[in-house]
Amino acid sequence: MRKADVLIVGGGLVGCATAWHLARGGAQVTLLEAGDIGMGASGQNAGSLHFQLERRFLENGEALAEQAARTAALSRLAIDDWRGLEAELGADLHVVMDGGLMVAETAEQVGVLERKIARENAEGLATRLLDGDEARAIAPYLSAGILAAGFSGDEGHADARAVTRAFAEAAAHAGAILRMRSPVTSARRLDRGFEIACADETLQGDRLVIACGAWTAQICARLNLHMPLFPVALLMNATERTAKGLRHLVQHVGRRLSMKQTHAGNILIGGGWPARLAQAPDGTFDPRRRPEMIAASLAGNMRAAIDTAPFVAKLNLIRSWTGVTAISADQLPIVGEVPSMPGCWVAGGGSAFTLGPTFARLMAQAMGGRAAPELDIVSPARFEHLNSFMG
Amino acid sequence: MAERYDLAIVGGGPAGQAAALALQGHGLAVAVIDEQPHPGGQILRQPPREFGVTGWMGGKVYAALRRQLGQFEALSGLDWLGGRSVLGLSRSSDASFVLTLSGRSGVETLRARRVLLATGCQDLAVPLPGWTLPGVYAAGGIQAFVKSQQIVPGKRIVLAGTHPLQLLIADQIVAAGASVSAVMFAQSRQAMARLLAESPLVAARQASALLPAGAAMARLRRRGVPVRFGESLLGIVGGERVEGVRSSAGETACDAVGLCYGFVPQSALPRMAGAGMRAAGPAGGWAAECDAWQRTSVAGLYAAGETTGVAGAAAAQCAGRIAGAGIALDLGLLAPGAAERRVAGVRRAHAKHLKFAALLDRIADPTGHFPVMAPSTIVCRCEAVRLADLVSCLDGRSANAVKLASRCGMGPCQGRNCEPTLLRLLGDRADPGFSARFPARPVMLGDLAAPE
Amino acid sequence: MRIESKVERQAPFSLQVEGETLRAYPGETIATVLVERSPVIGHMANGDAQGLFCNMGTCCLCMVTILPEGRRVRACLTAAEPGMEIGLG
Repeated sequence: MRKADVLIVGGGLVGCATAWHLARGGAQVTLLEAGDIGMGASGQNAGSLHFQLERRFLENGEALAEQAARTAALSRLAIDDWRGLEAELGADLHVVMDGGLMVAETAEQVGVLERKIARENAEGLATRLLDGDEARAIAPYLSAGILAAGFSGDEGHADARAVTRAFAEAAAHAGAILRMRSPVTSARRLDRGFEIACADETLQGDRLVIACGAWTAQICARLNLHMPLFPVALLMNATERTAKGLRHLVQHVGRRLSMKQTHAGNILIGGGWPARLAQAPDGTFDPRRRPEMIAASLAGNMRAAIDTAPFVAKLNLIRSWTGVTAISADQLPIVGEVPSMPGCWVAGGGSAFTLGPTFARLMAQAMGGRAAPELDIVSPARFEHLNSFMG
Repeated sequence: MAERYDLAIVGGGPAGQAAALALQGHGLAVAVIDEQPHPGGQILRQPPREFGVTGWMGGKVYAALRRQLGQFEALSGLDWLGGRSVLGLSRSSDASFVLTLSGRSGVETLRARRVLLATGCQDLAVPLPGWTLPGVYAAGGIQAFVKSQQIVPGKRIVLAGTHPLQLLIADQIVAAGASVSAVMFAQSRQAMARLLAESPLVAARQASALLPAGAAMARLRRRGVPVRFGESLLGIVGGERVEGVRSSAGETACDAVGLCYGFVPQSALPRMAGAGMRAAGPAGGWAAECDAWQRTSVAGLYAAGETTGVAGAAAAQCAGRIAGAGIALDLGLLAPGAAERRVAGVRRAHAKHLKFAALLDRIADPTGHFPVMAPSTIVCRCEAVRLADLVSCLDGRSANAVKLASRCGMGPCQGRNCEPTLLRLLGDRADPGFSARFPARPVMLGDLAAPE
Repeated sequence: MRIESKVERQAPFSLQVEGETLRAYPGETIATVLVERSPVIGHMANGDAQGLFCNMGTCCLCMVTILPEGRRVRACLTAAEPGMEIGLG
């Protein structure tokens, strides 16, 4: 029986980054990944660094918008984390933070932008409102139909494929053991600590971190815990390479759109358009199987992109792909120690590219005994009522 | 084109034509979709209608195919949808298939109760030092220029590889008035002869299929074209374009090279549909698995011809006829007994052709003859990923993981050129390769966007 | 090299490739026009010269731009037309 200080389930960005922080702090860490490193949402997402309030938080009522705005403290930390990440990891992650625009095409959308920016500013985020001409002055590719844009000078993008890989390499270098192709076959709580098994090894650890995206709720269930994280399937698209012309992260306040140009020159287009989750024969969702593309999502996403930046209409789409991520019952991430199960940490629920390095750093900090109050807003404590029946 | 069909056949080559012909008279609404403007497939890739070509593809080898093509073109009541690429197919709520097509008129969709994939094969892309120099072609690409566009893309051409088809291509090039500097087989002549001797019955029964290669070789010899065996390509040399090849026998000057190491099925669409696939053969690639009626593992989806394994045009014709009968059977247009009677003779011929194809596979087997790559050799042309870039991330990963780590397979071809090479490098026979993604061919964003 | 024997072509027309005026025959693909001009039809992602490869729509290495509208197409599957302006790259 091998023992570790911390066992981590999930070789995505958060798992690998947590392993790195803990290992370089001297902890013995073993990470189990069911497939290859970074092949879930960490490798499938399009690499947005978005610090403005997301559209999904703005269209589901004032209470959610207000609550989401309070995650701005995390965004402020994430901005600093991202600015230092390439130097800290010694890797070229193609981090570009030249600013991001969240555009509006109607008067109503401009109103939403104004309220959003007021909220952000109140929380200490330096976003500002540009009118259409101001927006086009810094982003000449924007359509004449853009009436206004929220601008954050810190937004941008990074190479999602490279980031998780760099964290994994750094973690291994710091002494963490990363086991690929090792799906968890059992997980249980011991009197002190946890025991996790995969096909050929059983491991014990004082602490457990569950950070396996769409599978997080399933691993929690093995520990008799409810974790209200739900798999959702999203569509992403890549154009052929084209000359550099789109410097910013471009999002839309009223339509599902996120758009950026990669280091190689491809334009990645997404923004939360749904794909169809595969179902297992028993009718439950099966996040392992590739979700099916929905034609209307593709058509709608392309239209939103063209209406925002008309030049993309002439580019060829070379790849659409679907990926699975997890969202929580209240849309906010769930990150932190489970109050009813001390030593068990959970991280999941979206925004985990932009905020992932910060989540990992703060979790490692808190495990090391230095409080991380910034995580309170996303703590799993808010769902403890579900586990009050779980014994 | 209509919005709904009983059957959509993807591919107007020997298999697709045969299926359409087998289904005539049943009153089905049938569409045949092809990327080329005219039917024929790669084997009978037709010249443009604006050309007048005397004695086009006049050889006896092509007689049966020409006859079938004539019958297919005379079919009334089917919709020929040439000049269109199938980007993807999905299942709609009423269990029919939705095919997304792109062509000159933009993106169109059609629905079909049944779909037959008869998409043929493609040349195996074989990386070697210098293979990205302009003037290096897939051998089949050169042949298509000669057959259809009536040009030869070079004045002195070298054909090199392991597949006997290069003899026919060289012969056609010479007949067209260009010069072939050499035909190089990597394998020895003795090894080829030994394989033929090991299967004397298959070889003898299929003498008609072997004769053209022999006749081509004799003609090439008479014209003084060197046909050499046991000569491996080491590299292709040139500044901005091909100037020659380096082989185990020395340097040969040329201005174009045709690489002829074999063929792999066009597998994008069956993989996108989630059909069961199998390793296609020694050249690599993936073939759609089918039952005795050419049904794939996806209900309502059929496959015939080289999509199911590279076995030549005659086998494809047989499989197309079987698929046609199978579709009629499944649609209740033929009783099981009648369907079986209709194809009994075809099945025997099919089995014979498949046996010959297996022999040809062994003779043409490129395994062990692939040129040695240099660290700087480009494996993925779309993304310019070199062998050296890949080696650092091969450590036991899946092809999909290597793609994410290296960009190999992330370009417009969706990995069609580099996947066989990557899978050889990975050496994991259980790796299913890259996940198939929409669109199977690049398509303009503006064509896909919802109406304003 | 256009094959001359046993082939009758209609009267040629002209078109532009990278600003250069070229002659083409009705029925020819853009790939044919390009290859008759030069085996170099653009450049790869690393800047090296790009050639045509499969000539059957599969390898997608022969993308060219139809000007002025900007549509990007596979040269091997697209017919050349009188007055066409083609951009490489």
